[in-house]
Amino acid sequence: MSPVVFAVVILLPILAGALIPLLPYKNRLQMIFYVSAVVIVTSALSLWILFRQPQEALVLFRFTDNLSISFRVDGLGTVFAGLVSVLWPLATLYSFEYMEHEKHEEIFFMFYTMSFGITLGIAYAEDIVTMYCFYEMLTLATLPLILHTLTREAVLAGRSYLYYSLGGAAFAFIGMVFILSYGDSPDFVLGGVLNHARLGDHANRLLIVYVLCFCGFSVKAAMFPFSAWLPQAGVAPTPVTALLHAVAVVKAGAFAVMRVTYYSFGTGLLRGTWAQTAVMSLTIITIVYGCSRALKETHLKRRLAWSTVSNLSYILFGVTIMTPAGLVGALCHMVFHAVMKICAFFCAGAVICKTGRQYIYELDGFGRKMPAVFVIFTVSGMALMGVPGLCGFISKWHLVEAAVSSRNPLAYVGVAALLVSALLTAIYMLTISVRAFFPGRNFDYAAIADVKDPGWKMVLPLALFAAAMLLCGICSHPLITAFETIVRSV
Amino acid sequence: MNAWILIPVFLPILFGACLLAVSAAARYKNKPEPDAAALKKLHLAAGAVMSVSAALALLAAWSGDWAVTMFHLMENIPIYFRVDDVGRLFVTVISVIWLLVCVYSFVYMRHEGEEARFFGFYLIVYGVLVALTFAGNLVTMYLFYELMTLTSMPLVLHNGSREAIMAALKYLFYSMCGAYFGLFGIFFLYQYCDTLTFSAGGTLNAALAQGHEGILLLAVFGMLIGFGVKAGMLPLHAWLPTAHPVAPSPASAVLSGIIVKCGVLAIVRVVFFVVGPEFIRGTWVQTAWMTLTLMTVFMGSMLAFREPVFKKRLAYSTVSQASYILFGLSTLSATAFTGAMLHVVFHAVIKCTLFLTAGVFIFECGKTRVEELNGIGKRMPGVLWCYTFAALALVGIPPTSGFISKWYLAQGALEGKIGVFGWLGPAVLLVSALLTAGYLLPVTMKGFFPGKDAPEADVTVKEPADGMLLPLVILAVLAVLFGVFPNPLVKFAGQIASSVL
Amino acid sequence: MALVQNFPFISIILSLAAGPVSSVLGAKKAKWLNLLVITVIGAMSAAVLAFVVGTGESYVYTMGHFPAPWGNEIRVGVLEALMALFFCVVMLLCMLGGSRERFLELEESKENLYYVLVNLLLSSLLALIYTNDLFTAYVFVEINTISACGLIMIKQNGRTIEAATRYMIMSLLGSGLFLLGICFLYDLTGHLLMSNIQEQVRAIKAAGTYHLPLLVCVCLMSVGLAIKSALYPFHAWLPDAYGYSTLSSAAILSSLVSKGYVFLLIKIFFRVIGFGIIDDSKVIDVLFAFGIAGMIMGSVDAIREDDVRRMIAYSSVAQIGYIYVGLGLGTTTGVIASLYHILSHAATKALLFVAVSGLTDASGDSTDFFDLTGAGYRNRLAGVAFTVGSFSMVGIPLFAGFISKYLFARAAIWSDSKMLVTLVALAVSTILNAVYFMKTVIRIYTPEHPAVLKKKKFRAVTVSDQPAKSAAMVCFIILNLILGLSSEPIVHLLERGMNMFA
Repeated sequence: MSPVVFAVVILLPILAGALIPLLPYKNRLQMIFYVSAVVIVTSALSLWILFRQPQEALVLFRFTDNLSISFRVDGLGTVFAGLVSVLWPLATLYSFEYMEHEKHEEIFFMFYTMSFGITLGIAYAEDIVTMYCFYEMLTLATLPLILHTLTREAVLAGRSYLYYSLGGAAFAFIGMVFILSYGDSPDFVLGGVLNHARLGDHANRLLIVYVLCFCGFSVKAAMFPFSAWLPQAGVAPTPVTALLHAVAVVKAGAFAVMRVTYYSFGTGLLRGTWAQTAVMSLTIITIVYGCSRALKETHLKRRLAWSTVSNLSYILFGVTIMTPAGLVGALCHMVFHAVMKICAFFCAGAVICKTGRQYIYELDGFGRKMPAVFVIFTVSGMALMGVPGLCGFISKWHLVEAAVSSRNPLAYVGVAALLVSALLTAIYMLTISVRAFFPGRNFDYAAIADVKDPGWKMVLPLALFAAAMLLCGICSHPLITAFETIVRSV
Repeated sequence: MNAWILIPVFLPILFGACLLAVSAAARYKNKPEPDAAALKKLHLAAGAVMSVSAALALLAAWSGDWAVTMFHLMENIPIYFRVDDVGRLFVTVISVIWLLVCVYSFVYMRHEGEEARFFGFYLIVYGVLVALTFAGNLVTMYLFYELMTLTSMPLVLHNGSREAIMAALKYLFYSMCGAYFGLFGIFFLYQYCDTLTFSAGGTLNAALAQGHEGILLLAVFGMLIGFGVKAGMLPLHAWLPTAHPVAPSPASAVLSGIIVKCGVLAIVRVVFFVVGPEFIRGTWVQTAWMTLTLMTVFMGSMLAFREPVFKKRLAYSTVSQASYILFGLSTLSATAFTGAMLHVVFHAVIKCTLFLTAGVFIFECGKTRVEELNGIGKRMPGVLWCYTFAALALVGIPPTSGFISKWYLAQGALEGKIGVFGWLGPAVLLVSALLTAGYLLPVTMKGFFPGKDAPEADVTVKEPADGMLLPLVILAVLAVLFGVFPNPLVKFAGQIASSVL
Repeated sequence: MALVQNFPFISIILSLAAGPVSSVLGAKKAKWLNLLVITVIGAMSAAVLAFVVGTGESYVYTMGHFPAPWGNEIRVGVLEALMALFFCVVMLLCMLGGSRERFLELEESKENLYYVLVNLLLSSLLALIYTNDLFTAYVFVEINTISACGLIMIKQNGRTIEAATRYMIMSLLGSGLFLLGICFLYDLTGHLLMSNIQEQVRAIKAAGTYHLPLLVCVCLMSVGLAIKSALYPFHAWLPDAYGYSTLSSAAILSSLVSKGYVFLLIKIFFRVIGFGIIDDSKVIDVLFAFGIAGMIMGSVDAIREDDVRRMIAYSSVAQIGYIYVGLGLGTTTGVIASLYHILSHAATKALLFVAVSGLTDASGDSTDFFDLTGAGYRNRLAGVAFTVGSFSMVGIPLFAGFISKYLFARAAIWSDSKMLVTLVALAVSTILNAVYFMKTVIRIYTPEHPAVLKKKKFRAVTVSDQPAKSAAMVCFIILNLILGLSSEPIVHLLERGMNMFA
C-alpha cells in the first residue's frame, strides 16, 4: 500500500471542500450529494488505511532538515482517526437536515469538510511538527464555523476561541521547539524521544517546558483556567458544537497532550515530579469546575459544553497518571465521551432546530412530544453519569483503576473528583430529563402541541449513537484489548 | 441452564417497559384516560406477571445454589448472579411484600391516575430488586443498585406535583451521591481484593493491603456512608423524610419497607462478603459507624415524635429503625447480626403495614395529619387494629416480632467487645423504643378514644375494600406471628451469621 | 578583479546619482527612473550574491585603489549581498504598491522630489550595508535620516509635519550619540576602518586597559542605533511617522530603514568591537531586556489602538523587540534568528501596510477599525493579503513569521539564563499579536449592513482598479510564502554570511 494514500485522505477533503462554494449546483440536493460523496470517500479511505495499517511514512513536504510534514499511522493515531472517520459521516448526515434553514450553507460545508481533512492530518501526523501545523490549521479552519451566524455574539465567541487557541498553540510551540532541540528526532516514539545526554542537568527546565506545553495543548481541551471559550463557542450551529466542540477539535487537544506526554517527553522523566503534580491538579480542578458551571447554566447547549469541559479533563487526568493504564483509560474515555456527548448535543440540536428553544426551563413536557429524542437524551445522560451497562461507566472504571493502581495520593483525590463530577453530572443531566418527562400535574400540553420528533436524518444518527453507547457499555473487551496493545510498551 | 433464574428479573422488567411504552404512546396520541374495563385488563395482566415472577423468584431462591454469569462487563468483571442465604432471605421478603402491595395498589391507585405508568415502574423495580438480591459480585450489585435508584424515582414523583418532583430529585441526588461514595470504595477494593465476587468472610488480600490500610479504611467508610444513604443513615438521611411521604402510599410502603433494606443489603455485602469484618473490627471505622447509627436511631425517633404529618412521622420512624439494623451490623457480633437480619424482615413487614394504613386513611378519608385521625377507630376499627398490632411490634412489646429482633440486637451489643458501645447501644435502643411507643401509640388511643371534646365524627363502620384490607390484615398477622413462632427464622438468620462471622 | 566585484560600489553611486537627476525630471519620468534604478541594483546585488556564494569568501573593495586609512573600503560578503538584494526587492514592491497614494496625496509639483529622496535613501541603505568604514557609516546614517524625514513630510498635513519633527529630533539624538561613540572609539584606537579598529580593540582588551571607555562607546553606539531603530522605550516617534505618512513611505520606513540601523549595529558588534567583548559587557543584556519589554508593550499599545495604520505601526515596535531579543541572546543562532526576522518582518510589514491601504480604499479612506467592517468582501485581494500578513505575524506555520519564531525559540532553548524569559515572552507576544491582528481579520470578514454601506458610500475595489497595488500584494504574499516554506536555503545563506562576518 503506497503511503501516498495519506496525502489523498488528508488533501482530498481539504481541496474538495474548498471547491464546495465554487461549484455550480442546480439545487440543494446536488450539493448534498457532492458533500456526502467527499466525506464518505474520505472516511472510507481512512478506515481502509486503518484496516491495512501501512508501515511506511509519507513525507509530504520539508520546511528544513528536521521540520517536515510527514504522516504515518500508529496505534494512538488509529484510535483518533478511527473515531473521527466514523463520526464525521454521521454528523454530516445530521447537518443536512439541521442546516436546511440556515444561510450560507456552502460556506459552512466547505469549512466543515476541510476540518475533516485537517483533523485526519493531526491523527496521522508522524511527528510533532506536522501535528503542530495541522493543529494551528484546525484553529483557523474551524473559526468560520463558529462565526457562521455572524451575530455579535458569534463574533465575540469566535474571537475568544481564536485568542485562546492561538495562545495555547504559542505555548505548545515552546514544547515543540524543546523536543526538536533536545530530542533525538521529532517523530513520535512511544516512551519519548528526549536525549538524556543532551538533557544533562537541565531536568528542571524540561519540567517547566512540559508544564507550559501541556497547558498550551490543553487549551483546546478546555482545561481550567483556559476553558471559557468552549461554552461561548456554543453559538455555532449544533453540528459544529457536537462534532467539533465535543469531538474533533477538543479531542485533538487531548490527543496532542497524549502525544507529547507519552510519545515526545516520555513519562519516565515526568512521573513523580512536581510537573506531574501541577498538571494533574489542574485537571482535577477542571473536572469539578466544569461540572459546577454546567450545573449553574440554564442554556442547554452551554450546559453540555461545560459538561464537555469537565469530561475532557477526565481524559487529561488519565494522561497525567502517566502509566500505561492511565493512557488506556484516557483513550477509552476519548472514544466513549465522543459518542456520548455528540449524541447529547444532537438531541439538543434537534430541539433547537425544530422548536427554537434554547433554555432548559423551556423544555417542560417535551419528553411526551419528542419521545425518541428525549429517551436517547436520557440514555446519553445516564451514560455520562456512568451508570453501569452504558459506556461511560467502562471508561470511568478504567480511569479510576489506573489512578488507584498508580499509588499516587493525588490520583486518589482525582478519583474523588471523578465521583463528585459524576454526581453533578447526574444532577445537571437528569434534571433536564425529569423536566421533559414529568412537567408536573397541571402542565398544559396544548402549549407545545406543534412539537414533534425530527426526521430520520436526525433520528438515525441518534439511534446509532444510543445503540453504540449500550454496545460499548456491555461489550467493551475488544476495544480495551486494542488500547492495551497500543500502550503495552510504554 | 441456570439462566432461568433470570426470568423473574427480566420478565417484570420487559413487561413493565411494555406498559410504559403503551402509556407513552397513549399520551403521544392524546388518548383519553382508560376506562374501567381497560383498567381491569391492566390489573389482571400486571397481577399475573407479578405473581408469576414472584413465584419463580421464590422457586429460584429456595431450589438450590444457582449461579449464572450473564456476560462480562469488563475482562475480569462478569455480570454474575448467585443465590445464597442472604439473597434468599431478602428475595423472599421482597417478593411477598411486593405481591401484597401490588394487590393493595389495584384499589389504591385508582385515585392517583396514570396507572399504566405506575405499574410499569413498579414491575421494573421488582425485577431490578430481584437481580440486586441475586447479584453475585460487587459490580453486578452496583449496577442494579443504580438501576434501582433510577427506576424507583418515578414512583416518588408519581403525582406530579411540584413538591413530589422536587422530592424525587432530592431522592435521586442523595442516592446517586451515596452510590458514588460506594463506587469510590469499589474502585479501591478492586485493587486490593482477590476478587469482587461475594464470599462469606471477605476476599481482601492482606498482603496487597499491607501498608495501604489508611486509604482502604477510608474507602470502606465511604461505602458505609454511601450505601447508608439508602438506609437513611446520618449524615445523608435527609432525602428519606422528604421522598417517602410524597409518594403514593403503596410506593411509600415499599420504599420504606424494601428499598431502604437494599441499602442494608449492600452494606452487608460489602462488609461481610468483600472487605471482611475482621478488617474493620476495632478500627476508627467501626467506632464511627456505631456512633452514626446510634445517633440516627435516636434522632430519627425524636424527629418522628415531633412530626404532625402521619406519613412523615412514619418516614422518620424508618430512619430510626433502619439504623437499628445497621447498628446490629456495626457491632460485628454474630448475635447482633442475627438480630439485624431478623429486624430486616420484621421491619419490612411492620413498616409496610403502617404505610398501607396511612394509605387507607388518605384514600378513604383524605386525612394526612395525626390530629385529624381522632376517632378514626370508630369508622375503620379493623384497619386501626392492624395498625395497632404493627405499632406494638415496632415498639417491641412481647410477644410481637419486634421484641425478638431487638432482643438479639441488644444481646449482641452487650456480648461484643465494643467498649462503651456495649452498654450505650442497648440504652439508646431502649430510649428509642420508648419514643417509638410515644409517637405510634397515641394514634391508636386517639383513634379509639377521641375524647369528649372531639367533634362528632361519622361513626358508621365502613372498612375499605377487600383489596386493601386483605394485604393489611395478612401483614399485620405476619408481624405478630413472627414474634410468636420466631424459631425457624432465628435459626436461618443465625446460620447466615455464623457463616460470615 | 571581476566585473561583478564592482557592482556594490556601482550600485551605491548609481542610486546616489539618480537622486539629483530625478530632481530635474518630471514626476512620471522620475518614477520610471527610480523603478529602473532599483531593479538594476537588485539585479546587480543578485549577481554579487551569486558571486560571493560561488567564491565562498568575502572580499574588500577599495575605492579608487587608495589603501586605507586614506581610501574608503567596501566589504562584501554573502550577508551584505543578500540584504542588499532583499532590500531592493522590498523597496521595489513598496514603491509599486504605493504609487496610487503618491499620485493622490502628494502635490504634483513635488512628486519628483519624492523619488530624489527614495533614491538617496536606497543609496544610504546600501552604503550602511556595504561600508567597511565607521565614518562613512555615520555620513550615510545622516543621509538616511534626512531622506526619511523628507519621506514622512512630503505628504503635507499638520500631522506629518509634527511626526517628521519628532522623528528628526529623536533621530538626531540617536545619531549624535552614535557620533560620540565613534569619536571615543577613534580616540581609543586611532582608526575609522572597521577591521583596523577591531585589531586595536583586541589589543586593548588583551592589555586590559581602557575598560570603561570601551564600555561607554559600546553603550553610546548601541543606544544611538537603538533610538534610531525604535527600540522600546525609544519608539515614541514611530506610530505617527508610520501612521500618517504616505503608503510607500510607511512601508519603506517600517520594513527597511529601521532594519538598516539594526544591520549596522550587528555589523558593529561583530566587525568593530567583536562579539565576545559585547557579550562580556552586559550591554546586550540591557538590549535584551528592552527587547522583551518591546515585544510585550508594543503589542499592548497596538491592541489599544483603533486606527489600523497606527496599530500596524505599533506592531513594528514589538517586532523590533524580537530582533533585539535575538541579538541579546548573545549567540550566533540568536543573531541568525534576528537576521531572518529582519527579512520576514520586512516582507510581512510591508505587505500589511499595502493590504491595509487596499482595505481603506474600499472603506472611504478611513483607517478607523470599525469602518473596515466587511472590507474583506469589498476588496477581496487586500482581504486575503491582510489575512496572510496577519497569519505570518501570529506565526502560523507555512508563513514567514512561523520560521522566525521557530528560529528565535531554537536559539533561546540553548541559552541558560534567558531561555524561559524568551520563550514565555514569545508565547505571550504571539497571543497579543493574535489579539489585534485576528480581531481585525474577523472584523474585515464580518459583513456590514447594506444600508450602512450605502450611507457611507463605500465601494468595492477590484484587482483591475489598482493593478500596481494588486501586483505588489501578490508579490508580497509570494515572498512571504517563500520565506515560510523554503527557509532552509535562506537560513544557510545567513549562516554562511555570519561565518564570513566574524
